[in-house]
Amino acid sequence: MAAFDYAPAIVLLPFVSFLVSLGAALYGDDVLPKGGALAGIVATAGSLILSLWVFFTVSAGNVYNQTIYTWTTGAGAAGEEALELTFGLLLDPLSSMMLIIVSLVALLVHVFSLGYMNDEGETGLPRYYAGLGLFSASMLGFVVAHNILMAFMFFELVGLCSFLLIGFWFREPGPPSAAKKAFLVTRFGDYFFLVGVVAIFATFGTGRFAGAESFPVLAEEVLAGEVAVNTFGFAPTTWFTVVGLLVLGGVIGKSAQFPLHTWLPDAMEGPTPVSALIHAATMVAAGVYLVARMYGFYAVSPTALAVIALVGGFTALVAATMGVVKREIKQVLAYSTISQYGYMMLALGAGGYVAATFHLLTHAFFKALLFLGAGSVIIAMHHNENMWDMGGLKDRMPVTYWTFLSGSLALAGIIPFAGFWSKDEVLYEALVHGLGTDGGLGTIFLVAYAFGLLAVFFTGFYTFRMVFLTFHGDARTGQARDPEGVGWNVKGPLAVLGVLAAVTGFVNMTPVADLFDLDIEYLHRWLEGPEGVEFMSALSAHHYLELLESDVTGIHAAELDPLIPGGVSLLLALAGVGLAYALYGRGEPEEYTAKLGGVQDLLYNNYYQDEYQVAIAERVVLPLSRAADKFDQSGVDGVVNGVSSVSLFSGSRVRRVQTGLVSNYAALVTLGLTVLLVAFGIYGGWLL
Amino acid sequence: MVPAEWYLILAAAVFCIGVFGLLTRQNALLFLMSVELMLNAANINLAAFSYYWGNVTGQTFGLFVMALAAAEVAVGIGIILVLYRNFSAVDVTDATTMRW
Amino acid sequence: MVVYPDWAALAPALALAVTGLVLLLIDSVDPDDSRPGLLAGTAVVGTLVSLGYAGWFLASGTGQVDGGTGAISLYRDALVVDGMALFFQAVFAVVTALVCIASYDYLKERAYQAEFYSLVMFAATGMAVMATANSLATAFIALELASLPSYALVAFLKHNRGSVEASLKYFLIGALSSAVFAFGISLVYAATGSLLLADVASALSALDGGLTGVAAIGVLMVAGGFAFKTASVPFHFWAPEAYEGAPAPISAFLSSASKAAGFAVLFRVFTTAFPLDAAGVDWMLLFQVLAVVTMTLGNFAAATQETVKRMLAYSSIGHAGYALIGLAAWSGGAPGSVENGAVLGASMAHLLVYGFMNTGAFLFVALAEQWDVGRTFEDYAGLGSRAPMASVAMTVFMFSLAGVPPFGGFFSKLFLFAGAVDAGFWWLAAVGVVNSTLSLYYYSRVVKALWVDDPVGEFELGGTPTGLYVAVVFAAVGTLLLLPGFAPVIETAQSVAAALVP
Repeated sequence: MAAFDYAPAIVLLPFVSFLVSLGAALYGDDVLPKGGALAGIVATAGSLILSLWVFFTVSAGNVYNQTIYTWTTGAGAAGEEALELTFGLLLDPLSSMMLIIVSLVALLVHVFSLGYMNDEGETGLPRYYAGLGLFSASMLGFVVAHNILMAFMFFELVGLCSFLLIGFWFREPGPPSAAKKAFLVTRFGDYFFLVGVVAIFATFGTGRFAGAESFPVLAEEVLAGEVAVNTFGFAPTTWFTVVGLLVLGGVIGKSAQFPLHTWLPDAMEGPTPVSALIHAATMVAAGVYLVARMYGFYAVSPTALAVIALVGGFTALVAATMGVVKREIKQVLAYSTISQYGYMMLALGAGGYVAATFHLLTHAFFKALLFLGAGSVIIAMHHNENMWDMGGLKDRMPVTYWTFLSGSLALAGIIPFAGFWSKDEVLYEALVHGLGTDGGLGTIFLVAYAFGLLAVFFTGFYTFRMVFLTFHGDARTGQARDPEGVGWNVKGPLAVLGVLAAVTGFVNMTPVADLFDLDIEYLHRWLEGPEGVEFMSALSAHHYLELLESDVTGIHAAELDPLIPGGVSLLLALAGVGLAYALYGRGEPEEYTAKLGGVQDLLYNNYYQDEYQVAIAERVVLPLSRAADKFDQSGVDGVVNGVSSVSLFSGSRVRRVQTGLVSNYAALVTLGLTVLLVAFGIYGGWLL
Repeated sequence: MVPAEWYLILAAAVFCIGVFGLLTRQNALLFLMSVELMLNAANINLAAFSYYWGNVTGQTFGLFVMALAAAEVAVGIGIILVLYRNFSAVDVTDATTMRW
Repeated sequence: MVVYPDWAALAPALALAVTGLVLLLIDSVDPDDSRPGLLAGTAVVGTLVSLGYAGWFLASGTGQVDGGTGAISLYRDALVVDGMALFFQAVFAVVTALVCIASYDYLKERAYQAEFYSLVMFAATGMAVMATANSLATAFIALELASLPSYALVAFLKHNRGSVEASLKYFLIGALSSAVFAFGISLVYAATGSLLLADVASALSALDGGLTGVAAIGVLMVAGGFAFKTASVPFHFWAPEAYEGAPAPISAFLSSASKAAGFAVLFRVFTTAFPLDAAGVDWMLLFQVLAVVTMTLGNFAAATQETVKRMLAYSSIGHAGYALIGLAAWSGGAPGSVENGAVLGASMAHLLVYGFMNTGAFLFVALAEQWDVGRTFEDYAGLGSRAPMASVAMTVFMFSLAGVPPFGGFFSKLFLFAGAVDAGFWWLAAVGVVNSTLSLYYYSRVVKALWVDDPVGEFELGGTPTGLYVAVVFAAVGTLLLLPGFAPVIETAQSVAAALVP
């Protein structure tokens, strides 16, 4: 297929724009018009067009799974296959869908940056666009990777770009330390990932995602007893769970799941378009995408699934509650991002592969939209992010308001916006699998479902608290009364994403399909993949369902009408919105959280214990201490001085060894060790 | 096949280079790098003798050593940063307010 | 009868790790440290749960030979839960609990409280795992897990030059030591092909001549790594500065719990992995030399200090020397005889008592820092009449540390020295007694300053920090109660130590 021949260019185009911007950055600031933005826009537009071409080719029933470049081949032992480390492309429904998300958001963010960075007169723009270009290239490379080692390498590259872009304003105090934190925290997770990659290669001898010789397929065959691999003395199920959890370490770090979520709120120190691209729509999605990519491997390990579901559900709830009290608009969005990725993990863990992919798709659009909308507000407010300084922006920036509202309705999960359909499907999958599965696994799914359901309420609340504080009411500061205008390059991307946030959900309206018995679950069908291609059978949603329902995993779905749980979550979301309206939407909003804190602080100030302790001390201890006084004067002084006066001289010499110079200490430690080595070597007879 | 002794000698040499750096450098970062050398000397041994004994214990432990080395550097850089803030230098011999 | 899974035997360590995570969670929900009581409370409850598990297991015989399940091996022998591990875990939990209670006041008005407590918890987890380490790999990792948070904790007062300098020195010497340790392990592995203690022992016994030197250097370097953790000569140089510069509760934590953890893993590794006759190193002689040098250096240097905290730091080195006697006089008796367990058990009991009295002493220093009265002996003058209760507690600690009869420290030293004499090392005991006498001099200087000397100038004590008071008084009560309660302690310690020795 011609599209597949050009597919490598999807990755290479942004890389070229990176090189161009890098050259400009090295040469000087003003050699390129717009600081290198145009190269990036052209490159990502090219990637988008090629991605669309690939998308249509895939929808015509073609898929692609080829090695492009082999960089090393190991010497295989007799009778075993040699280990190959390769680069290659895997273009199937999942990756082609992700390609469009990434290239589209990257393009829009490049355009938006014209308004956010260029028009605001930032310096060092080539460096910025070089970072964006390298990021786009690495993210696209990650998406198309056909083996886990390649995926790991690009996974690390996006982490590097994230570090560089968060720290873009490196002369200010906040960004460098935020960048460092993001890097170190995600690296911590990636270390487990690396060990997991090595374990996969050591176990299966391959890192391929798809094909007969791929590790998910091999794992399946091992469990069916058809082939044997080296599982290092463990039972295969145990070992696969261990490996799966190791890889999950990287996922948890990158997708900001509890307990490695801490870096993401700090990462908001970076420029807002970067937050939209990297920390909302794409890089953070890499973790979830990786799990979906190798879902066949996770689907045979119930323990790993339980961990994923529980981590996801818990993160969704905890992050949502934290978003409730934040003052900065980007902080709210950051916690909301953590929470939404929690939903995706919940879906993956609870066997909702399609639901997770669906939410990944819708969330990418509406969260990018919200971040860009926040960016627009931040431009208008002269880079003041505190929502308490805003208010009443609705009338002054209508385009931003209406698009932001579209994104907010999607985030809160209000029908018929995109987020409603996908979040509903996530929760529905968790519920039916929780009800249908026996034993502890089912209970865990139900617990995770409860977390997720509760989080819906908080999501509705914090989302509309943000909307009301920012756009409604009266302006609370002078800046909010007279905001700076934004140009077409800000409004354009917002409009595109605003429409997408409203309509993307229609690709998979499961409740409607069930209600009217229509065949409109396009995403379901899309992820089934084309018939008749050999390796696709192991990557299809249908096959994953079979794996989940096999005896190994034993997850089953209960029969349940999707309308009732959907209605419940919608009601909860509306309740959250309503509460936000009641508290913040009418007239002059108050800082309720401050009141809450004051009441609780009061409880901690009970100190009546102090008094009675002092009383005991004065009445009982004082007489005792007078007796000790006498004892000292008659006895202690004289005896002790006599015994130790000789020692004092040597003591004052001994302490001189402690010179205070740590270099001397190191030398003395080394010397001491050497003396011991030599002395015991001669004494023990093995030296000299 | 290279005899096992050579690996021991190589590792010992790398270790000694590390010790030499440790004793002669005053820059805290170079001090850290010297320690890294010493840890990697241990890794050479672990990897070589993992092969020699035909089990993966050594290699696995080597991975752990690497991870801990990275963690150690992370903590170390943090300490060096506060050192710089308090003493305006990363010279390890500057901090001598406590002695004897 | 409920049958618990084997890993449940790790409950004391798991409780600490979970508490650390819970603290992080609390911090995520409430990043402004506006609930110091909740943080300190969580930490204390976590350590008490850990203590409860360790105590329950010790009482019910889990992991013990006498009337119990026998040592529980976990994860292919990488960890082992036996009486000694539980005994030390109880020590760590007690010290950590005291430190957390005291930190509540010490940290008042400071930022990053949740991080402080969770670092303490993770370091304590590392120590608890050290006590169970049954492989050189787990020993190394657990040791690092205990060390890395400690470096950060020492530097916790990051605008205080002393704290930063202390941390730098601690860290640099620590990094050097861990490199030496890792290289030692790699050499032991080179010679034996295994990291599991039991396998190392059998491989060493069947070692061919060519690798003896490699193994011996490895053993010495491994000893070096542990010497760092226990602050023994020649790896002790970090200790005076680190203990002096660190926040006082952390000094208490490091000099009591961290040191005990070093001894826990030292005892296990040397008694099970390195057979005396096959290790190529006469490590009993090694520890005799180290014990004598360490206790002498520590006590002599402590005798001439001006500041109380640094005096305590050097005295802590001296006590490491005492505890080393446990290994130095280890197999003076016949292999497998009761005396072996006797002296090792006495050393463990001493570490327990030391956990109470030394923690208490450092916490008193924390109290003095809180009041801002100054650092030298002279500055403490007259505190007895102003803060009588704390001063009485401090007096108990000082006399107990010195080993004066009516206190806990007296008994533990008595058993230790008696064990050494029984094992035939009367000269070790003699050196110990001379050192203890010298230590009485400088400990009583503190007592003298507290009760006898007149204050140099007028000063006001700023309030009575409840948490610190509770911790100090509790430590003092512990030190006193160990006098009548010493019999069960020494019996437990000696029986679990005897079980350790093959």
